[in-house]
Amino acid sequence: MAHSAAAATTQYNYDIIKKFALMALLWGLLGMSAGTYIAAELAFPFLNFDIAEITFGRLRPVHTTLVIFGFGGSALFATSYYVVQRTCQARLASDWMANLTFWGWQLSVLIGIIGYVNGITEGKEYAEFPWYVDLLITVTWVLYLLVFVMTLMRRSQPHIYVANWFYLAFILATAILHVFRNLSVPVGLFNTTSYSLYSGVQDAMVQWWYGHNAVGFFLTAAFLGMMYYFVPKQAGRPIYSYRLSIIHFWALSFMYMWVGGHHLHWTALPDWASSLAAAFSIMLLLPSWGGMINGIMTLSGAWEKLRTDPIMLFLITALSFYGMSTFEGPMMSLKSVNALSHYTDWTVGHVHSGALGWVAMISFGSFYHLIPRLWETRLYSVKLVYVHFWLATIGIVLYIASMWVSGIGQGLMLRAFDDYGNLAYTFIESVVFMHWPLVVRMIGGMFFVSGVVVMAVNVTMTIRNAKLEQAALEAKIAAKLAKAGA
Amino acid sequence: MKLSHESIEINAGLMIVLTLIAISIGGLVEIVPLYYIKDTIEKVDGVRPYTPLEQRGRDIYIREGCYTCHSQMIRPFRDEHMRYGHYSLAAESKYDHPFQWGSKRTGPDLGRVGRKYSNAWHTQHLNNPRDVVPESIMPNYPWLLRNELDYADVADRMRALKVVGVPYSETEEEYLANVDQFGATMAEQFDINRAELSLLAQAQSEDWDGDRSRLTEMDALVAYLQVLGTMVDFTQYDEGYFAEFR
Amino acid sequence: MMQWLSNMENTKPLALVIFFVVFVGILLYVFANKKRSKRLESYKNIPFLEDDEAGEQKDKDSRNG
Repeated sequence: MAHSAAAATTQYNYDIIKKFALMALLWGLLGMSAGTYIAAELAFPFLNFDIAEITFGRLRPVHTTLVIFGFGGSALFATSYYVVQRTCQARLASDWMANLTFWGWQLSVLIGIIGYVNGITEGKEYAEFPWYVDLLITVTWVLYLLVFVMTLMRRSQPHIYVANWFYLAFILATAILHVFRNLSVPVGLFNTTSYSLYSGVQDAMVQWWYGHNAVGFFLTAAFLGMMYYFVPKQAGRPIYSYRLSIIHFWALSFMYMWVGGHHLHWTALPDWASSLAAAFSIMLLLPSWGGMINGIMTLSGAWEKLRTDPIMLFLITALSFYGMSTFEGPMMSLKSVNALSHYTDWTVGHVHSGALGWVAMISFGSFYHLIPRLWETRLYSVKLVYVHFWLATIGIVLYIASMWVSGIGQGLMLRAFDDYGNLAYTFIESVVFMHWPLVVRMIGGMFFVSGVVVMAVNVTMTIRNAKLEQAALEAKIAAKLAKAGA
Repeated sequence: MKLSHESIEINAGLMIVLTLIAISIGGLVEIVPLYYIKDTIEKVDGVRPYTPLEQRGRDIYIREGCYTCHSQMIRPFRDEHMRYGHYSLAAESKYDHPFQWGSKRTGPDLGRVGRKYSNAWHTQHLNNPRDVVPESIMPNYPWLLRNELDYADVADRMRALKVVGVPYSETEEEYLANVDQFGATMAEQFDINRAELSLLAQAQSEDWDGDRSRLTEMDALVAYLQVLGTMVDFTQYDEGYFAEFR
Repeated sequence: MMQWLSNMENTKPLALVIFFVVFVGILLYVFANKKRSKRLESYKNIPFLEDDEAGEQKDKDSRNG
């Protein structure tokens, strides 16, 4: 065992994976805390404290950037570098390029959020990075593609495992989305502002083509890649149907790019575009559920693992939330439902059932599998994994339920008329109504963050133990050598 | 080489090409036609670029992340019509780089907030929203009144906007074209060579923030808010006209 | 030809037919041929082929064999 583990460390580049994994946890903790704080600001506005840097409008992009790009992005770098090496049985193609992707990515996130609190933003949701960070990301991303593809080419067998297809599609799609969404003209070489190449209705369509596919490829396809490796590995049995995964891949890749327009129902975007988007949104249910079934059925015949293995619990719960939000999404893309749900907290709740339930849960599960293997030890505490699981699950349920109340409630209030045909409520009355749901949402967020804190403790102790074990082992060997010498 | 799925699975290059094709079609079909279908943007009079002062106000609107809580896109529903006014037209944001339609209404839509409230109301509301709306959950923005407006780079900003398609003028020819299209008063505002003077003149033209002696960020932001949704005169058109473009 | 293609009422069903045929083609390719199915399904074991996990490998072999 000790022998083969030592072989693995020389064969694979684990260093880069460790770095990305730890940064993912750090950014995740910060980003989710920021999210909980801005949730609290909505419930208790005095928390803005008249400090420009921490007002809701400036912290919200900090939150989204940290959780999507900091946490999600670093988790994807980490797992993709792990999966591509393990399934190709080849070392990462270039250590220095991989290292550059690490520093490029972390710097981008850091410069981005420091800018946001100081008011430097492009004002495009999920693409708020100023133009110079956009350039840095572009360079980093090209390096990422190179490292990934060059590693694929080193593989020791002809077939490329399906998890790598999803990662590859994610890298390619993100490159296209990033470049075309961020085409803009800077005011000057030393000016932080730049103006989008597109305007008005075209800018809106480009935005939601980008925005929804950031969800589709960054937060879905890539995490499906994670799923297709870590679920079978943790279950100790291969994926339910490989052929289904092929259909899943092509259908998902093709259809996702069409659906962004459903964010623009009833707006000044022409009807044909948003109708087309709605049609594809509904069709997208099929590949989404195909993938979910493929993942969950992997456990068929071994369901008892759900009782004994909390990591499996994370992974399967993640897939269940994936199924739920990919059902809710198409439903909300129906024009009649969207008329009510758009602009309200229902959308926020929907995003978080995907972001917390699917993205974060599948990442946590994968990390619990990954981290002991990277540091060649065992998890410090399996019990703490259970604690984390329940904190996270309770948090998500509180979050989603309160957002349904707040969103549907506000939607209904704003469209209510009295007997004389006048508006039944003023806008501010709906704000007053939302107070308690917003408080519950904040508490849900606190539960979720506490779970991450538990995870951070568990991971820290695991790594500490690994180092102690390593030191003990070295001392033993040294003693033996000394004895042999004497 | 025979093209079969097997060759895709074992050939990374081919896989990249086919994936690129699969993911490109959707975006191309939905975005490109928006540029050449002429009905996408309504033909309507009155829509004009922002003046230098309004544009600086818009920059502040973006800086503070107002779009995270306010939309600028009224939908064609009876309740929104009664609450905010006529539904928003694509034409009304055709000079918006980037668009600020928003996606969330934690606060009300601002698409037609222009001239609905007085300048004094906006100043007071931005300084402390609870002074005028006791239940409001909006943050206070007291620094808008404290900060002097920085307009040193306003001409550069207009130049960048000109590159992306806003008809600000630099040459005499462009200026005259603007006179034709927007009238002499507005054309002067859109002249990059006179940007700073125009900005100062508009700042003095009205009492935006209650103190004409200082040019603050509040002046610019209020000037921007007061123009939102006011450019088109809807009494000129009958209701059926805009429906043709949807 | 271009005239016919530029009419949305023609291109919409055409696009539908093309995409549907491609989709059915992939389905047939993946599921119709027994031998191919067997080959494709064999790839699901790739994550378990890692050389430093000899134990798992043996376990899998005994299950499949």
